[in-house]
Amino acid sequence: MVNIVLKESRLLNLLGLEEKDLNDVLFNLKSEVEKRGEDELEIEINSDRLDMLSPEGIKRAVDGILGRKLGEAKYEVVPTNYQLIIDDVESRPYALAAVVYDIKLDEDRIKEIIQFQEKLHCTIGRKRKKVAIGIHDLDKIDGKVIRYSKVPLDYKFVPLNSDKEMSVSEVISSTEQGKLYGNISIKDNYSPAILQEDGQVLSIPPIINSNKTKIDSSTKNLFIDVTGTNFDAVAQTLDLLVSNFAEGGSKIGTVKVSRYTSSSPLMIHNKLVVKTSDINKRLGLSLSTEEIAKYVRMMRMDANINSDEIEVIVPQYRIDIMTYVDIAEDVAMAYGYKSFSLPEYTSKGMGELLPITKLERAFRDLAIGGGFQEIFTFVLNKSSYLLYNDFVKIQNPITVEYDAVRNSLIWNMLKFLAKNQHARFPIKVFEVGDVVVKSEESDTGYKNDTRACLAIMNSKISYEELQSVVHQILYNLKGKEPRYLRQDKDYFIKGRSAKILFDNNVIGEIGEISPEVLEKFNIENPVVIAEIYLEKLCE
Amino acid sequence: MLSENEIKIIDFLKKKENKSAYSTELSSVIPETAVFSLAYLLKDKGYVSVKEEEKENIILTKEGEERLKEGLPEDNLINFLKGESKKIQEVAKTFKDFNIALSWARKKGLIKVDKGEIIPLKSSYVSPEYVVLKKISSSQDLSEDDKKYLKELESRGLIEIKKNKVLLLTLLKEPEIRPAITYLTPELLRNKEWTKYELKEYNVEALPPFIPLGKKHYFKEFLEHVKDVMVSLGFKEVKSDFVEMEFYNFDMLFQAQDHPAREIHDSFKVDGKGELLNQSLVKRVKEVHEKLWKYSWKQEVAKSLVLRSQTTATTARVLSTSPNKEIKVFTIGKVFRPDAIDATHLIEFHQLDGLVIEENFNFRELLSTLRAIFSGIGIKEVKFKPAYFPFTEPSVEVYGYIQGLGWVEMAGAGLLRPEVTEPAGVTMPAGAWGLGLDRLAMLFLGIKDIRNLYSDDIEYLRNRKVEY
Repeated sequence: MVNIVLKESRLLNLLGLEEKDLNDVLFNLKSEVEKRGEDELEIEINSDRLDMLSPEGIKRAVDGILGRKLGEAKYEVVPTNYQLIIDDVESRPYALAAVVYDIKLDEDRIKEIIQFQEKLHCTIGRKRKKVAIGIHDLDKIDGKVIRYSKVPLDYKFVPLNSDKEMSVSEVISSTEQGKLYGNISIKDNYSPAILQEDGQVLSIPPIINSNKTKIDSSTKNLFIDVTGTNFDAVAQTLDLLVSNFAEGGSKIGTVKVSRYTSSSPLMIHNKLVVKTSDINKRLGLSLSTEEIAKYVRMMRMDANINSDEIEVIVPQYRIDIMTYVDIAEDVAMAYGYKSFSLPEYTSKGMGELLPITKLERAFRDLAIGGGFQEIFTFVLNKSSYLLYNDFVKIQNPITVEYDAVRNSLIWNMLKFLAKNQHARFPIKVFEVGDVVVKSEESDTGYKNDTRACLAIMNSKISYEELQSVVHQILYNLKGKEPRYLRQDKDYFIKGRSAKILFDNNVIGEIGEISPEVLEKFNIENPVVIAEIYLEKLCE
Repeated sequence: MLSENEIKIIDFLKKKENKSAYSTELSSVIPETAVFSLAYLLKDKGYVSVKEEEKENIILTKEGEERLKEGLPEDNLINFLKGESKKIQEVAKTFKDFNIALSWARKKGLIKVDKGEIIPLKSSYVSPEYVVLKKISSSQDLSEDDKKYLKELESRGLIEIKKNKVLLLTLLKEPEIRPAITYLTPELLRNKEWTKYELKEYNVEALPPFIPLGKKHYFKEFLEHVKDVMVSLGFKEVKSDFVEMEFYNFDMLFQAQDHPAREIHDSFKVDGKGELLNQSLVKRVKEVHEKLWKYSWKQEVAKSLVLRSQTTATTARVLSTSPNKEIKVFTIGKVFRPDAIDATHLIEFHQLDGLVIEENFNFRELLSTLRAIFSGIGIKEVKFKPAYFPFTEPSVEVYGYIQGLGWVEMAGAGLLRPEVTEPAGVTMPAGAWGLGLDRLAMLFLGIKDIRNLYSDDIEYLRNRKVEY
């Protein structure tokens, strides 16, 4: 999801819509509208519809879905004498450019353009790593030859919104953009640069433009450069930009390019042939070929019918359309999701729970019969609490309180008991849940292990008090008595802990927590805990 | 059985001479207002006889109180004269209430008056009326002699005599008193010994002491309920692990390797690399990524470990087994995403993911399935919004109508792209969805702070009303 903020009155005027209809129309185009300020709207655009990140793009889509304009929006493209010479720039090899004539700017429009540019930077541009855009006042550029090249870091220019000449290094260390994006494309002390023929900087992608070609409300014509690490993304970005300017009434001018292609923007059109039956099969509808073609046109694409097939021409601004299933979705949108008549749901087969779920349920019932309150704790825990060594540590935790995945329910239980020392005693609680343990059989090296844990905390407790409950639960689950084998573990008091076994399989352990561990958890009352390995019981 | 107050009355009577007492006397042991009804209860039970009597109740008037304090005027006169005669005029000047004193002293023959002089016949005097007055004020019994003066005292306005109804209770028999015990025992019952004992009464109206109750957790119950809904709709349960390879969490779901969701801020990274055992699946996933997303797909990235950020990873795991028959499966489990923890955000929460692979499955069937699931959970009204997910097309967001809240976004769903199903060798259409359960549980359980779904406060758990 991408959110853009637009002036409400301006947008409604552009779309020719009443306020009350806007939400409905945009809802059907995957978007949502929220009123923010007095005359301000926040619009949520889905991340596949980058063409809708500017008011003109929204207008193009709305015109289609309301049936005002059908088929591809065709824009005038004229050749120019501008030329982009592309040198080897290893860190950011791709660059394209275009010219836009007859643009009408005011403060609001400039804001919209900057927002459009920024949102493209964040989405298709992957925070300028993949694609970066420079928008210039064409008439402030000297000469017709522009060069995409690289410059050393001491190369000087006046960055945007500054009156001081600075070196690229200074820009990186002292401007906000420099700090954010400075290191993306620096390689061997060289930075990519868009230059005039005389060597004056127009922009230092992906960081900042020069102040020389800054756009303002008097700007009439634009020069746009797009650079990046992926040719398709660069070409698509430029196509999106010029298409939306053209939708706003401007004329697109092509720039001669010295590499990959002869001129840009490419205005890439894809052809897709879709079968009526495929679309209907996917949607569960029985639309005629003509109806499908109509819906395709409502989504601002051209459609040519050829018996039961439709040739869809995907214009440059619909970069989200890849295969026939994308067409199917657009047809469904134009048809209207709410127009689908839904059949009554029928189930062909029987559903079923996993055996472990059934066991969990039985275990919970028995523990409750034993008078234990069920608790539900977090899977994530504090690594310093996890007293075993083998646990999953998170590389990028949000807080140290949750920087590891529990490998036993005992630690969660102790943490819970520590929080409840002033509650009414006795405290008898249990939890059923998954822990993560190392596993050689798993392709990730780890596996979930479903366990149950029971605990009693009181001013005075006995081992038997818990053992008797655990014993009855296990007896009821298996119909035979478990055995107990003395064990010594450092988190239990010596001589007060046992492994629990069925036949020769250890299915759990029980014991009184050692004073050292109680201290570590700041618990001032004795605690007896049992942990049962439910998956072993399930076998 | 006798009540505590009834026993008090009997005890009082026992101590009295001839075992009788007036109801007025009982006010020293029980509230006076209760005496009458208790007396008749005891009479009905045969313990006492009750006689109603009219009893005179004598009280001092205000003047009577004064006289008691200062003495009767005639007595004071005698004591003033100390046996000597004095001129009337002289005495009248200084003596308080002289006329009253003179009149009563003459009437009682305590003085003579002759030639303007008072001649005392006694040198000191205390009237018997004064003694009676004193007795009345201290509630002493009056003798027959004393009673002769009552009329006079009343006429002098020193006392008031009122008649009251009182009860005279006389103890007829004493209740049988047996030794008291607290516990009935098997022995007592077996030997009939219990008849010899009185079982102590409890304060049955007092609040009981606390005992902990075994109780299921409300949020777990909600999750189990959703499982039951899925089973009732014909779905089989599946599950997979928290630690997952990016391959299943992202790549198989056609999420490009530079997709923002794969960035460090959007999933928890775990040390180590997984092993991709099915290399032909890997190869097909690589091909489809490179063909449509146009970048160079790296197996090393796909092997990176994360805590799964969506239970759709479980769906991907199911797909990776190339199911070639029709299936309907679901999973409910924890997913993990970095976020700020507050009243509406946690870094771990639950999702329900479902997958249908059926020969004739389509978008319409999917919408109908989603409607059925929500209806089962308790959301009867849903609407569908076009949406975008990398792995489904068409995609849909499901909104449910919640009373008091309006339309709430609840799930994302869609038909899996062929780019997802085909590399896995699945040829039939497939629908999938993911549904966040924590928010939904909050709505159903009336919980405002998401952290209360996992409360670590035992008293909160104990005190929470059970849902049913």
